[in-house]
Amino acid sequence: MEQKGVTVWFTGLSGAGKTALALRLEEEMRQRGLKVERLDGDIVRQGLTRDLGFSKEDRDKNIERVTFVAKLLTRNGVAVLCSFISPYRAVRAHSRQEIGNFVEVYCHATLETLIGRDVKGLYKRALAGEIPNFTGVSDPYEAPENPEVMIDSGQETIEGSLAKIVHKLEELGYMPPAAEEELPSYTPEEEAAIEARLAALGYL
Amino acid sequence: MGLFGKLRGKKKERRVVFIGLDGTPYTFMQRLIASGRAPNAARLAGQGSLLRMESVWPWVSSAAWSTMMTGVNPGKHGIFGFVDRDPATYKQFIPTSRHMKARTLWEVLSDAGKRVIVVNVPVTYPPRQVNGILVGCFLSPSLDKAVYPQSYVPTLKSLGYIIDADPWKARESKDLALQEVNAALDARIRTLFHLFDHEAWDYLHVHVMETDRLHHFLWQQMEEEHPIYAPAFYDFYRRIDDMLGRLAGKLGDDTTLVWMSDHGFCTVKKEVYANRWLMDRGWLKLRSVPPDPKAGLDAIDPASAAYSLDPGRVFIRVKGRERDGWVAPGAEYEALRDEIAAAALELRDPDSGERFFQAAFRREELYHGPCLEQAADLILAPYDGYDPKGPLYKETLTFKGDELVGAHTYDDAMLYVAGKEIPQTRFSVVDVMPTVLSLMDVACPPELDGQSLV
Repeated sequence: MEQKGVTVWFTGLSGAGKTALALRLEEEMRQRGLKVERLDGDIVRQGLTRDLGFSKEDRDKNIERVTFVAKLLTRNGVAVLCSFISPYRAVRAHSRQEIGNFVEVYCHATLETLIGRDVKGLYKRALAGEIPNFTGVSDPYEAPENPEVMIDSGQETIEGSLAKIVHKLEELGYMPPAAEEELPSYTPEEEAAIEARLAALGYL
Repeated sequence: MGLFGKLRGKKKERRVVFIGLDGTPYTFMQRLIASGRAPNAARLAGQGSLLRMESVWPWVSSAAWSTMMTGVNPGKHGIFGFVDRDPATYKQFIPTSRHMKARTLWEVLSDAGKRVIVVNVPVTYPPRQVNGILVGCFLSPSLDKAVYPQSYVPTLKSLGYIIDADPWKARESKDLALQEVNAALDARIRTLFHLFDHEAWDYLHVHVMETDRLHHFLWQQMEEEHPIYAPAFYDFYRRIDDMLGRLAGKLGDDTTLVWMSDHGFCTVKKEVYANRWLMDRGWLKLRSVPPDPKAGLDAIDPASAAYSLDPGRVFIRVKGRERDGWVAPGAEYEALRDEIAAAALELRDPDSGERFFQAAFRREELYHGPCLEQAADLILAPYDGYDPKGPLYKETLTFKGDELVGAHTYDDAMLYVAGKEIPQTRFSVVDVMPTVLSLMDVACPPELDGQSLV
């Protein structure tokens, strides 16, 4: 089956699990032989968009450039995993329109959960007023109205969330099914070991 | 209003915790309860329905659990035993989840948005994708390959999880057998409570294979009240009972406890070698005697009319279906099948004069569905204690050893459902999946053969 390009767009507040999920999804997709590229907020800002700040205008430009790259990759049959806070609904809608094959994954967690988690220590600093325009604290976040997948990272395990995304991608034809019936279940050595086990139990 | 009426009025239950007790007979559980050896099961039995259940033919765990987890008969799911063959090539293979043609309970629940955790149920290797965690059965080659998602492997390793007791060690001595099954049970129980406490789930299913293993190696010692091994056997079941009690104590109103076994057990009177019998009757010929152990079914001489795979599955060498088959489909096939069936029913233990087989089912009497063609032509149903085996060559018709001393039985499986009054008295493992779906208020797929009991 030829790979159908897609952009999986993880949106949500800082610390809601976007990058962690994208990393797991990347691993899963590679195991199934798919071409994958990951575009992450923390990474592109060191290169592609390092000239930009966090004003609304700069944030929009950031997403615009990422969208452009994702569009090129997607139309060339690559699975692109984008994890960006991407707080504005209209901007995400624009990315969807530009890219076409677009799966939006909304990583939700309550602000209390995120403040409790605060892996990078950013919420503490934002709440102390040290970081201006911090989404969820001093800047708005517009939640998706109809995401393809909704993740509640306060309630679900990462594997449970991953299963939901994979299931959706399989359903939409962007990922081949995991277990293909024609594949052998065992290597010859494994089969010999299992046969020995069954023989010990009297089944062979 | 009686107990059940009161429970019916309660908030609808949505979650299920399910314990598989492989091969624990209903009648044995009742004996444990009556003798005071299973106080938790006794108490729980009073708070729900503990019932006798039928297995499937043949009563092996692979066919029975496949039926349980799909809610359809083997003619639809395609798993008939622990070994099968490609009729065109005579290559033998071990049926796995890849050969299972029906969707499982856990896949249906996953699709309904339920989070499932399933551990160790026979024929779940290679693990299929679920919304949650699936740990494959004793047919898994390694823990690394047994788990979906793979990222859960380290957690299981940290819990000291093991795939199965080592059956070769268990055959060495009864002491080693006990050591092996108790160690495996430790790992199973530890994992059960870890999953219960630390993972999110709507359906949690942990399968205890060790009951079956204990029975295979020590059932006779228990029945004969052996001074050391019978108490050890009961000690093992006390641990099972403790597990059930501890688990039940943790459940809230929203969770139903279910446990089941897939077949019963009894002491082996004799192993019966069906291929020896087919040879004695002239229906099976081997290219050389004894055959090359590596030859597998290639050792069958093309002049043969029939052969058998474990346990008591007889295949007729039908022209066009079997490699070099020559028995013409239609009248010739039916006549031969009738002849073999009639002969099987007449076959007797030369020592006791007892018959070995209570029935010789034509496959269409037991199965229906797209996998019917893969089934054996005849399924020999033994009387309890006669244990049909599948080796291609044995010098004798029967054997009684002291390593494998327990044999499966058909009509002594068990089902327990907490908080429900189940009026049905005759049902089978095929009815378990619709029952669980009903307990969880998830729609039952129309293709299922079973019926909900609640």
